[in-house]
Amino acid sequence: MRLAIGFLAATALFGQVTYERLLKAPSEPNNWMTYSGSYQSWRYSSLDQINRQNIGNLKVAWVQQMPTSHRIEATPTVVDGIMYVTEPPSNVFALDAATGRPYWHYKRSLPAYNVCCDAVNRGVAVLGDRVFLGTVDAHLVALNAKTGAVLWDVEVADRKTGYSVTGAPLVVKDMVITGVAGGEYGVRGFLDAYDIKTGKRRWRFNTVPGPGEKGHETWPTTGPNANSWKQGGGPTWVTGSFDPELNLLIWGVGNPSPDWNADVREGDNLYTDSAIALDVDTGQLKWHYQFVPHDANDWDAVQVPVLVDSDWQGKPRKLIYWAHRGGFYYVLDRQTGEFLLGKPFAKQTWAKEIDAKGRPVRLPNTAPTVEGNVIWPGVQGATNWYSPSYNPLTSLFYLTAWENKGWYLKGEPKYTPGNRYVGSVPDIDMADDPGYGAIRALNPKTGELVWEHKTQTKPWSGVMTTGSKLLFGASGGWLNRSSREDSEAYFFALDAENGKELWRINLGGTMASNPMTYMVNGKQMVTMAAGSAVFTFALP
Amino acid sequence: MFLVAAGCAFGQAVNTQATPAGRAAGEKIFRSHCASCHGVSGAGGTGPNLTTGVFYHGSTDADLYRNISQGIEGTAMPDQFFNGVQIWQIVAYVRWLSATPVRPKLVGNAAHGAELFRQKGCSDCHLVRGEGGVRGPDLSVIGSQRAPAYLRESIVEPGAHVAPEFWVAKVITKDGKNHSGFLLNQDSYAIQMLDFADGLRMIQRADFKDFGIDRGSAMPSYRDKLSAAELDDLTAFLASLERPREKN
Ligand code: HEC
Ligand code: HEC
Repeated sequence: MRLAIGFLAATALFGQVTYERLLKAPSEPNNWMTYSGSYQSWRYSSLDQINRQNIGNLKVAWVQQMPTSHRIEATPTVVDGIMYVTEPPSNVFALDAATGRPYWHYKRSLPAYNVCCDAVNRGVAVLGDRVFLGTVDAHLVALNAKTGAVLWDVEVADRKTGYSVTGAPLVVKDMVITGVAGGEYGVRGFLDAYDIKTGKRRWRFNTVPGPGEKGHETWPTTGPNANSWKQGGGPTWVTGSFDPELNLLIWGVGNPSPDWNADVREGDNLYTDSAIALDVDTGQLKWHYQFVPHDANDWDAVQVPVLVDSDWQGKPRKLIYWAHRGGFYYVLDRQTGEFLLGKPFAKQTWAKEIDAKGRPVRLPNTAPTVEGNVIWPGVQGATNWYSPSYNPLTSLFYLTAWENKGWYLKGEPKYTPGNRYVGSVPDIDMADDPGYGAIRALNPKTGELVWEHKTQTKPWSGVMTTGSKLLFGASGGWLNRSSREDSEAYFFALDAENGKELWRINLGGTMASNPMTYMVNGKQMVTMAAGSAVFTFALP
Repeated sequence: MFLVAAGCAFGQAVNTQATPAGRAAGEKIFRSHCASCHGVSGAGGTGPNLTTGVFYHGSTDADLYRNISQGIEGTAMPDQFFNGVQIWQIVAYVRWLSATPVRPKLVGNAAHGAELFRQKGCSDCHLVRGEGGVRGPDLSVIGSQRAPAYLRESIVEPGAHVAPEFWVAKVITKDGKNHSGFLLNQDSYAIQMLDFADGLRMIQRADFKDFGIDRGSAMPSYRDKLSAAELDDLTAFLASLERPREKN
């Protein structure tokens, strides 16, 4: 079926998100139907009711305080006036998008689980009358969108060996795709596709290839470490993107395990710290690009791949823009994975450059040592899972950046199932030079800085841009609510053309999620989570 | 990704209250705080039978302690305000209950009950494991939530216990439209409902022309529509809908 733009179509199809609608998500800016707003993951909305002239009047429309004491990392999903937002660890609220009043609340009863960095969840996926949720006990659950009743609940992996699911699933066709977390527990990572009706698994792609599979030779195959691939890491905990024309799922793969002692895993350790492109129907690998071969700094490639069709040196090309945790901004060819550009967007001291083939030229003495080693960026990276944004009106790429160093130590890694397998714990936020944060705008064709908005504290949240050339972002944030209570927590709007601050509000709670926007009853709303509350803003 | 772990070890200890005196104290608390749902003998009612030795939410002492003190998230099992000693006394009593299981005899044929469930239109309103409608409660694990006698009663006398989330809101708005559906939530300004016609809906009180809450059941009684054997079969089917056991 062909769809008309916007409101009419939304009303006519009330409550039924179809694959067709997901494909054309950008033409329905009233809704926010996937984690990053569209399959291309621009975290951009063409809504422009809130603009650079009237933003000064932006007011809180409603707040939903969640019972949880964990911080909210979710991006809400909004479909036809209903907001589905997760409450950590693994609960879901269906809220009225105009008022924040709850319709239903799915509360998961949880056994003991393993998560490295607080029990978080980044959101749901929606299709038809179903809402899909990944859980910290490593299950994937389908809920009825009207009542929250569980339709199916399948185990993705064994939580007792350190797996969990914290990312938002992605629906493609009649499948729901989910990754896993567990890179600090020596899991073997994978990406899975499940049948939306039955919950039956369609395919699995192991991000650490086993014997006989291509890429296995990048792990020790003989000697005392011949089994290190089994605990090789490579989690997939941030939602990827989808290219419907190429039928390719494009996803980031996390760090190898153990994180900070790479001695037990000689080799490049594919496909850790890589972008992977999979045929969405079969889960077969079409190409990969590895940002950091043989990583010993925990520089996951768990960023959201931003898919843009644009001119590249005079020829139209299908591109991916990717600012990676290690401090370089990359442009890749989406069809082949070919490396096109790699340029630092923040201070880094580990690579001289990225060579013409796309392989980093490592500088000496840039791995963790027993005595400790100072390296830029720090372990949280020069960016992280914080969503970037691409705005087609400014043609700029926006991201959250950290200027910071880390103190990297190498310790003994010992694998025991379900326990941490990291080989030391690096130090960040170092007192002598804690660094700072920034929202940066890059020219995506060159990686050059166009403007930056500095923040005292380093933001743990992503950015979103709109059709009125506004950028929403935040400062401050920390993993626990209890520590750093005194750190700033501003939610702000910048002029996306020049970075000028136009509006801000102190939300007084850790911001570790990403802003999003939608429209209900003719009003544009902007939502951001802080602490354990969801805040929504609108013009009076 | 990485940072400091949150410990989630659960204090496990030998139950020092597993003595005749401890059990007797536990029984007293059980009668006053648990029997309304689990029955005086623990054999179930609107809550499950606790005498069978089967615990879906975990069967170690630590699991029982957790479930009794904190309640069970996402279910009708509430948390309770007891001190640690009292909870261990209740645990001791609940354990003792399983020593003499009360297993109600289910004479019906569950497989035939499953067929009847579809034929008699039950699945138009009730979800069972992902199949069915949403005009009634999800019955996917009802067998581990209620006693069989209660299930049987629900079919012939639906109005006997109606949980507030299944009360029916009936609204006529100022523009003359009629809405009816489950009242999910209400506040000073609006109600939130699952409209039987088209799903989740909020209606402002300012738009009400007429509003009422029907606390009766939206389920028709099957008292005269089922034979005794059919009723047995349906009850057996519902009782067989168990929760998957917790893996420890
Ligand atoms: C308001 C009704 C209600 C009260 C009061 C109540 N329970 Fe429950 N209880 C339930 C229900 C319903 C369940 C089943 C939860 C589920 O699985 O959906 C349950 C489950 C349980 C379980 C877990 C059973 C299993 O299979 O793992 C235990 C143990 C338990 N209750 C003990 C108690 C004790 C002891 C008390 C009193 C201190 C108590 N309950 C009070 C309703 C109640
Ligand atoms: C028109 C919709 C409708 C139909 C048809 C229907 N029910 Fe129900 N049922 C409900 C509603 C609404 C409730 C909740 C109110 C109540 O407890 O009576 C309910 C409650 C129940 C309960 C109690 C659940 C609980 O948690 O306490 C059981 C058991 C049940 N129904 C079984 C059946 C069976 C068996 C049939 C078919 C013979 C059936 N229902 C047909 C709507 C329906």
